[in-house]
Amino acid sequence: MTLQSDTLLHEDYPDAVEAYFENGYTDGLPIIPPTPEAVESMLAAAHLAGPEVLGEVPTRNVTVTAEKAAVNAVMAGCKSEYFPVVAAAVRALLQPLANCHSTTATLAGSAHALIVNGPVRERIGVVSGQACMGPGFRTNATIGRALRLVIRNVCRTVPTELDRATFSWPLRYSFCFGENEEYSDWTPNHVLQGYSPEDSAVTIMSVMRLLAAIEMAPESEVILEMISETARLYGLSVDSFVGDARGIVVIIGMEHQRRLLDDGWTKEAVREWLFERMTRPTIGKYDLKVNLAEPSRILVIAAGGPGIAESRVIMPHLAAPTHEQVR
Amino acid sequence: MPLITLDPTNGPLGSDAASFEMAGRPLTLAGHTLGIIANGLGQSEVMFDALADQLSKWDDLAGSVKVVKPSVAVAPWPAQWAEITEHATVAVTGFGGCGSCSTRSMRDALDLEAAGIPAVCLVHTALVPAVRALCSLMGAPDYPFVIVDYPYNPTGNWTVDECNALATQVLDGVRLRLTASGADQ
Repeated sequence: MTLQSDTLLHEDYPDAVEAYFENGYTDGLPIIPPTPEAVESMLAAAHLAGPEVLGEVPTRNVTVTAEKAAVNAVMAGCKSEYFPVVAAAVRALLQPLANCHSTTATLAGSAHALIVNGPVRERIGVVSGQACMGPGFRTNATIGRALRLVIRNVCRTVPTELDRATFSWPLRYSFCFGENEEYSDWTPNHVLQGYSPEDSAVTIMSVMRLLAAIEMAPESEVILEMISETARLYGLSVDSFVGDARGIVVIIGMEHQRRLLDDGWTKEAVREWLFERMTRPTIGKYDLKVNLAEPSRILVIAAGGPGIAESRVIMPHLAAPTHEQVR
Repeated sequence: MPLITLDPTNGPLGSDAASFEMAGRPLTLAGHTLGIIANGLGQSEVMFDALADQLSKWDDLAGSVKVVKPSVAVAPWPAQWAEITEHATVAVTGFGGCGSCSTRSMRDALDLEAAGIPAVCLVHTALVPAVRALCSLMGAPDYPFVIVDYPYNPTGNWTVDECNALATQVLDGVRLRLTASGADQ
């Protein structure tokens, strides 16, 4: 395989790590030096040729090839078998409705959630249960980091330069988790998006806000009401570019899911109920309409572990959730 | 032991950009039609209307045509682009104050130049580094623009009085950048 990237020569491994800092290629953390052999291994694992185009950022005239994504995946610490997920995530991010330029250069500093579904989770160890959104799991951490390094190095979203985020936030280091498909018979997210249960797929969701909906009451309707109220704290405006594709993500925590399952709620029923409540007219400064076109635009995801009776709501930047099959 | 690694970027900013040339400038704005590509941020539309009024009053502008993009940081719809490029002979883009909005508005200006329409983008001082980076990416690192400074809020949440005052403040800069007298300054 012939790689196209310019090469850099270093005295040794520590020298290479330092050089990537000095060249401005990292997120502030040390990287794994991307040797040609490691990059080729990534590409082989995803059956991709280096020049294959994963997508573009039209406003910036940026093209992202499989090779550049693989270089950044090595740097992030990914194992080769993770790369099919990284490549799918990059493709999803670069779909027009993911609005990559807007979501990565905004002053608001939005992040991206990368949600993994299907058998690949088990195969490579994507964590969907206890602590799935936090540190401690190589698969989640490095896949999410790889996407961010692609955004930085290939898409040119360099903080203080093209990226003018006022505060930015920690989710921009890495934010990847799986859906817990095994805890219940709820229809997995990717199946609701049209994939088969045997497929694996990723969802990319811009994250303007990650909100906690904590409700200890046992009644399902009270839990759902809290989730709806949480989303309505900020509401969701209409955006002509995103149009009817705009959506939100509701991550149902295990304690809430247990209550809902006991009462016979399906995902489809949950989103129907939430849609009716969330889209009621605005009635106050902190009770704002969530402008969604239809119930399917509420992506209900099961994740997290036992403990606090909490769910989470992701409100987007100016983008729609996008999906890609893991090939 | 020596180690060979790979560059994770696509090379220096603008290394793969096409060569950039500014459109030819008229001597004055008299008789020209001002195209306005507004990103819809804050009260920028009000400010642009005031700017068009002042250019009509002082520079004998023939008229103006304005589009407001479907989202703050995207290209105009094709029909909007056609409306501008069919009618405008000079143009202004922005405003501008968010990071992705400012850089996209700059891209709109560069696209207008490529279409042969002299353009200028209004950029808040807080966003200058981002706009410079976008210009470099596009192979136009020295492309001039008009800078809006404080006390004006970067995100365009101005009063009507501030819109009018800002239009007055940027008037000379817009005139300078759209005409032959100022294009190379």
